[in-house]
Amino acid sequence: MAIRIVIDILIAIGAIFALAGTIGILKMPDTYCRMQASTCVATLGTLCTSIGGVLYAAIIMHSASAAVKIAVIALMIILTNPLGAHAIAKGAYRNGIRPEKEMTVDDYGRDMKDE
Amino acid sequence: MQKTKLPAVLTTFIVCFAFWIIITWSFDIQELAGGAVVSLAVALFSARFFIHENAFWFFNPAKFFSLLLYCIVIFPIELIKANVDVAKRCFTGCRNVNPGIVKIPVGLKSEYGQSMLANSITLTPGTITMEVTEENEQTYYYVHWIDVAAESGEAAGEKIKGTLEKGIRRIFK
Repeated sequence: MAIRIVIDILIAIGAIFALAGTIGILKMPDTYCRMQASTCVATLGTLCTSIGGVLYAAIIMHSASAAVKIAVIALMIILTNPLGAHAIAKGAYRNGIRPEKEMTVDDYGRDMKDE
Repeated sequence: MQKTKLPAVLTTFIVCFAFWIIITWSFDIQELAGGAVVSLAVALFSARFFIHENAFWFFNPAKFFSLLLYCIVIFPIELIKANVDVAKRCFTGCRNVNPGIVKIPVGLKSEYGQSMLANSITLTPGTITMEVTEENEQTYYYVHWIDVAAESGEAAGEKIKGTLEKGIRRIFK
């Protein structure tokens, strides 16, 4: 019973962070800040939920293969998410997308003009 | 193009085969043999793209324990701190942001260390690595930061990746 409570709490925490990330994606002022908020969904949102899923599959369902597969899903998200985020941010910047409000510092734009 | 080396092939083979076993989760002799043949073919063709340095660092106990420490203690603590920070900004109206792109110097030399640090920075909410450049033997990252607290390179680098870099330096030079 105690383990069931731990699992529920983990999944609830994951859902709260996913909600925060979704609000951020909808309401942040520019493209790059939206991407920052979306990392929130991809990291703690999915990680907490999948840890809860692994515990549920291993302890309550007694199914080792399901637990291992959920762990592999979490691992793949951790490995691939930064690559995608980096490529989207760089592509958006190179394509000329700039925030409406001027950024505080913009070293990348400064160095790109020199090229 | 680099030549294919035996340790690189062996490591890629082990990783592919372990992944096959995890995905199929069956220990039938036919499944294992099929997986071994396929992963050997994949390893022969693709090892030279993946592994350029000593591939057996994993079996050095000191490095292995530093990796465990990094993955279980250092990185999750930073991840939770940054997540709570960004979630607070999201829940309180998304107006208290101060975005900017800063250029920070990186002290790591090895390829693995640099890519691990860049991916760790991107995984932490609030910072995204946008580009890696090298000037005069010194590597720099351009990092988009949601709340610019320091404008000079060194101070910003210390705030963004101070603890992470210390953890990674114990594994890779």
